[in-house]
Amino acid sequence: MAAIELESITKTFGKHTAVDTLSLSVPEGSVYGFIGPNGSGKTTTLRMIMNIIPPDSGKIKVLGAPLTPSTTDRIGYMPEERGLYRRMKVRELLQFFGSLKSENNVKTKVDQWLERLDLTAWANKQVETLSKGMAQKVQFIATVVAEPELVLLDEPFTGLDPVNTDVIKDAILGFQARGATVIFSTHDMSMAEKMCDFIFMIFKGKKVLDGTLSSIQDKYATDTLRIRIGDGAGALQNIDGIEKVNDFGQMQELRLAPAADPQKILHEILRRTTVRSFDITKPSLHDIFIRIAGPEAKEVNHA
Amino acid sequence: MRRILLFARREYKAAVKTKGFIIGLVLAPILMGGGMIAFVLLKDRVDTTDKRLAVVDRTGKVAEALVAAAENRNAKEIHHPETGKKVRPSYYIEVVTPSASDPKTQRLELSDRIRNGSLYAFVEIGPDAIHPGKDREASRILFYAKNAAMDDLRSWVGGPINDRLRELRLADAGIKPSDVKDLFYWVGVEGMGLVSVDKETGTIGEGRSASPVEALVIPIVIMLLMFLMIMMSVPGMLHSVMEEKTQRIAEVLLGSIRPFEFMMAKVLGGIAVALTSSAVYIVGGILVVRYMGLEEYVPFQLLPWFFAYMLLAIIMFGAWAAALGSTCSEAKDAQSLSLPTMLPAFFPMFIYFPIAKEPMGSFATSMSLIPPFTPLLMTLRLGTPGGVPAWQPWVGLVGVLLFTVFFVWVGGRIFRVAILMQGTPPKLSNILRWAFRG
Repeated sequence: MAAIELESITKTFGKHTAVDTLSLSVPEGSVYGFIGPNGSGKTTTLRMIMNIIPPDSGKIKVLGAPLTPSTTDRIGYMPEERGLYRRMKVRELLQFFGSLKSENNVKTKVDQWLERLDLTAWANKQVETLSKGMAQKVQFIATVVAEPELVLLDEPFTGLDPVNTDVIKDAILGFQARGATVIFSTHDMSMAEKMCDFIFMIFKGKKVLDGTLSSIQDKYATDTLRIRIGDGAGALQNIDGIEKVNDFGQMQELRLAPAADPQKILHEILRRTTVRSFDITKPSLHDIFIRIAGPEAKEVNHA
Repeated sequence: MRRILLFARREYKAAVKTKGFIIGLVLAPILMGGGMIAFVLLKDRVDTTDKRLAVVDRTGKVAEALVAAAENRNAKEIHHPETGKKVRPSYYIEVVTPSASDPKTQRLELSDRIRNGSLYAFVEIGPDAIHPGKDREASRILFYAKNAAMDDLRSWVGGPINDRLRELRLADAGIKPSDVKDLFYWVGVEGMGLVSVDKETGTIGEGRSASPVEALVIPIVIMLLMFLMIMMSVPGMLHSVMEEKTQRIAEVLLGSIRPFEFMMAKVLGGIAVALTSSAVYIVGGILVVRYMGLEEYVPFQLLPWFFAYMLLAIIMFGAWAAALGSTCSEAKDAQSLSLPTMLPAFFPMFIYFPIAKEPMGSFATSMSLIPPFTPLLMTLRLGTPGGVPAWQPWVGLVGVLLFTVFFVWVGGRIFRVAILMQGTPPKLSNILRWAFRG
């Protein structure tokens, strides 16, 4: 069964179409990544799934049923902008948010989550005394403490250090292991690549990618050369067959022209500098994102 | 409903657990009743510095009587009869020969003496004061002082001067003042309540003496109490909704509750706050009036109306405040919307005095039947000794009920759109569009 089924949903704000005839099916028990540039319609889509704003047209089914207040009780939602009562104590706040979603007593679960996310010492402190990362973790607990069947997380990793990123990542995978469906939006492409069973990209309100990472990558040729060289990106200038150099500092990602021979290009690079490692591969999600939404896509669109 | 109650409980706890609420609970009646308390405490605290009054008597027949009256007062009324403590200033009269040639210069000289402190005031009695004729200027009595408008000495001096003028007029008419001693005895008209039959004994009772406390103070205090309850709960809703919107808490909450439930939970929280405060004030008030022996003046039969109107007023104004709070994107928006939000509650405070004075007048009746003003003004009228016709509070209640439903409906429509609308200023055109088109 699909956890979410969107059928041609459209939402406009004045003259701006935020989401344009979007259809999507999210399988139950999957981790689904929503990617897209800022203002492309991710948050609006999540808000419609949460029944916070209604679509202008189209149908939404969540957990096998049309949206009703009892359905949304089974969904945990963490908005992009964090919202916590600053003067409430952490434990009291989590019990309040948990009780809004669940009729069961959530006190024990709150304490378990506080311990799991290393926040027990802060349980009786006011929210306004927390650091940004700690507040982020509290918001995460508020979202999941009622054990929802569907978890919607808008940018869950923003502002977290690597340790806390891992804690949240493990928690997300834990939900999946117990059968919950998780959707999260992110600008961290590597996180989406590593965690998501399916990736959906929305651009200017329209769906432009939807599927597994490999199925998305299959749409693109093996035209990417990832390389580590001794003299930096300067040594890669003016080589025939290289369309674009994406310089990450320690590593460069080269997009090859359609008819280019990777062997010849590698040979030319070896002639110019030392090659420490290389890998001929399909484009990364980051590169695919840039190809769709970056400046070069705009140039193509304008041409 | 469970979620509304849960959220309302959070709102209530967030409000009453603050130090501000407890301080406000204590300070609000002190500030609002501060004037009255200060008046009671300070009414006997008068300036006992002796005062010198110059008299320019152009009749030539009044000044000596004024001197005698002042001496009599100084002998009898200046000191407390039991403690002997000086409680009033002595008045010393200085008779000044009127200048016939240059009265203006004389007035200037006396004014300068007041300025340099050797004189407190001077009074000039016109030459025709005994028998005022066509020349009004010649019959005037003028009192000159630094603050002549509000002066105890001016109030006092009018008595002996006029007593003497009446004596002179009687004498001129050939009547001996001693023959008509009671001529100047003033008999006041006492206000009495209506007479009714005692239900238990069947006897005709006595009309109760009408007291200004009963007629004005009690109704106004009851109305002020309701106003205080509204002010302690409603403006807070405007600001807390604004905070929930700007701090993005609203979006988290809307993942769990519908916008209408959100708004009604805020209103319910406000009602709970008002009920708590009013319970404290009413119980405290009853204890105080019992202690002071004034419970006969308290209209206990008014309490059901008080609570019914107060609840509806808080729902009505609260829904409106929450709706306007949802249109605010920053604190200054909420500040500028505070006055229009509370204007329907403020307006009755501007017109309460004429209504309390004539509670059965057509102005009072019509104003108290305008729904936004009904809770405060009808309660005020109900608190007056005569009460109001039985149909009026019911008609008022139905009007308020209908208006409350309308406010909640309009408020809900504005709220559900505006609460997620970031960066849009609360313009009237937007508010009207959200209210009527959704």
